[in-house]
Amino acid sequence: MRLIFADDIGTQLLHGILSWEFLQFIVAFLSIFGFVLTSATILVLAERKVMAWMQDRYGPLHTGPWGLLQSVADVVKLLLKEDIHASKTDKALFLIAPSIFIAPVIAAFAVLPLSPYLQIPGVPLATGVVFLVAMSSIDVVGVIMAGWSSNNKYSLIGGLRSAGQMISYELPLVLALVGVIMLTSVLAGQPGYPTSAGDAIGTISFIEIMQFQNAWHHTGMPVLDFIFDGFTPWAWFILVQPLMLVIYYICGLAETNRPPFDLPEAESELVAGYLTEYSGMRWAMFFLGEYGNMTIVSAVTVYMFLGGFSGPGVNFLTGLHSLLWGFVGNILALGYFVLKVYGLCFVFIWVRSTLPRLRADQLMQFAWLILMPVTLGNIVVVALLYFMLSWAPVWVYLVTLGIVNWLAFVGFVFLVSHVTKTTTHHAQALAIRAQLRTKPIEPALPLRDAVPVHAEPLPQIQSIRAVKE
Amino acid sequence: MSTNQDIHSEFINTTEEFQQQEGLHSQEMLLNMGPQHPSTHGVLRLILSLEGETVTNCTPVIGYLHRGIEKILENRPFMGGIRYMDNADYLSPMLNETVYVGAVEQLMGLEIPRRAQYIRLLTNEMQRIASHLVAVGTYLLDLGAFTPVLWTFRDREGILSLFEALGGSRFNVNYMRVGGVLHDFPKGWLKECQAFLDQFEKNMGELEQLITGNEIFESRTQGVGYIDPQQALAYGLTGPMLRASGINWDLRVNHPYMAYREVAVNPQVRQEGDCYARYKVRMQEIMESIRLCRVAIDKLPGGSISARTPIALRAPRGETYFALESSKGEQGVYLISDGGEYPWRAKLRGPSFVNLQILPELLRGYKMSDTVAIMGSLDIVLGEVDR
Repeated sequence: MRLIFADDIGTQLLHGILSWEFLQFIVAFLSIFGFVLTSATILVLAERKVMAWMQDRYGPLHTGPWGLLQSVADVVKLLLKEDIHASKTDKALFLIAPSIFIAPVIAAFAVLPLSPYLQIPGVPLATGVVFLVAMSSIDVVGVIMAGWSSNNKYSLIGGLRSAGQMISYELPLVLALVGVIMLTSVLAGQPGYPTSAGDAIGTISFIEIMQFQNAWHHTGMPVLDFIFDGFTPWAWFILVQPLMLVIYYICGLAETNRPPFDLPEAESELVAGYLTEYSGMRWAMFFLGEYGNMTIVSAVTVYMFLGGFSGPGVNFLTGLHSLLWGFVGNILALGYFVLKVYGLCFVFIWVRSTLPRLRADQLMQFAWLILMPVTLGNIVVVALLYFMLSWAPVWVYLVTLGIVNWLAFVGFVFLVSHVTKTTTHHAQALAIRAQLRTKPIEPALPLRDAVPVHAEPLPQIQSIRAVKE
Repeated sequence: MSTNQDIHSEFINTTEEFQQQEGLHSQEMLLNMGPQHPSTHGVLRLILSLEGETVTNCTPVIGYLHRGIEKILENRPFMGGIRYMDNADYLSPMLNETVYVGAVEQLMGLEIPRRAQYIRLLTNEMQRIASHLVAVGTYLLDLGAFTPVLWTFRDREGILSLFEALGGSRFNVNYMRVGGVLHDFPKGWLKECQAFLDQFEKNMGELEQLITGNEIFESRTQGVGYIDPQQALAYGLTGPMLRASGINWDLRVNHPYMAYREVAVNPQVRQEGDCYARYKVRMQEIMESIRLCRVAIDKLPGGSISARTPIALRAPRGETYFALESSKGEQGVYLISDGGEYPWRAKLRGPSFVNLQILPELLRGYKMSDTVAIMGSLDIVLGEVDR
């Protein structure tokens, strides 16, 4: 193949590569890369401190003021640690697994803008949700590789559990987002809402989904415009699709192997799961990836349901076309974004310090028997209501959908609290029947669902004291 | 192995059919769980045969913590053995000491003063609370909940501090003496104890709110590790394990000893026989122990704290068995004396050791995650299993 250069290659370079877009790309890339890595260390520290606060203890105290430098010290320690690998591991896989785990985490951030300026310009933004979901599915490969190559039974079980879990929860995770994407296509033709390609179709780009939640019609009053331009909390999709937010968040917990779905690394059963044989920086890369995933799940939730980086003043200031005010506006946007993301990360930590861990089969049942039907049902409801209310203005549709979804949310809580137990009782039935068969005598207790729920009281053994009296 | 085949025909048949259809071959995986493992509660080793995640067989291997406590007791004077009893069931040293001195007193025919009896009751009940707190906390840790263990250890800390004021040591208290106890309460101790009990009762409410009623906890424990009453009796289970299977047997009621002859105890019994019932029995026993502590403080008589005993204790020739209701079940000491200063033979009956025997029976057919759930509900202490 022969390369053809234009005559004015210098001008092309200057305008093609050394352009403002390229500068934006560099700045955005470095910000995002830095954000993932620092966010992980900050989250580790935050987790330790918040959990300490919830558990009546202090947490790290002695490194730096209030132990704030503990994470820094930990990272330095992990970097300097010897890279140990056991002799009979599958070396190539063992060494490459951490990289394969962490690479998609950083890549996934490409479609997540941090502020109006800090976003990778060009194509990746348009493929938003699809790209992100694809990236977060690659994670599981790294986990299975780590589990298999460690040549450790705990690692293997952990890796396989993780494979099953991540693949199962990938489905409701994506399906929970479909409702929002459908909503954007409903809204796309409406006045005041952005239209991506000029015609009324929906979008899968995060930045546009964010704009759909923050469509403000200019009133001309400076104060109102300053606050509400690009910041309309009453139009956020959390109000229309609260159940989907909760389900997405639950699936996110499972995707990131966080409690109560941390079976792959359940420390009380599998020592450390697929991490058992890792140490030093390779272990840290898994750890970093996990916390990076936490940030991604929170960030996606923020974009899909909580209005992204929108906040009072952002659009107004960046719309002034002044370098200084644009800078201030971007910083503000970054601040709102980080605030919302860490607010959701706090929920991650909160859940971790509250709930026990599920069992593997309960985990699968929860995904396939509860989450899948509910998310599929939501898609049907969104579509059906649209057809039924096509005669009415769009706000009627949104309000109806919101009411239906909030009711479904209440029903979901009821469903989870009642169905989980009965389904798991059915799962126990096999084991209990197998146990009862070994016993020579007939079971003295009546069985319901093969689970002994209530037993006949046995004849009381008379107390010696009673005899004496 | 043939019995295993019978037990798991339901699982194995389905998997074998599947394998024959698909032309796959699989074999059982042998997994060594322990002796270094986060949730074997010490140094227990379980050899698990796994069919996928289903446990088909389990062989506990014990003895990693054997220190020869029985032999040490035979080589120490009667007073000297008390301290070594602390290390048998290291989560409830007060109860261990009481059972040993109780056996020696029974051998010597000593009558102990009422005040000493009540002090023993108070400290024993507090020790029972401390032991149950560890049991509940670590059980929840096994199930993956991180907070309860820190809350329970915080409360246990209060009890250990009170013990420190009593015996000078937090853990190996060495407080009981043949004929009574070491010291009377220090000044203000009882007030502190009451304050602790009040605070602790509130904390228990919080703990109950956090754990009981949680759907995940209930689905992890209800219907898991079911023990038949007949089976429980056949295996000689005692303590909360037995009472959770619906059998009302509590040595404090059925064979009352020391101050329990005067203080009525409500034994906590549940009928379900699963892990949840065992957890509930322990929680209820903690509340009952708080009540008993208050009763003991109210009824605390005056007088001497120790019977008159010679400096060099000599037990008459003979043998005896004394048992009390420890936090884990019937804790017994069998003593043979040849009339000298040392016991000729000392044999401990450890509830953890006996309760552990049912584990292989319980695990078969359950998932690997249930292994830790069931093992945690047994509440074993390896120091006492291996002695």
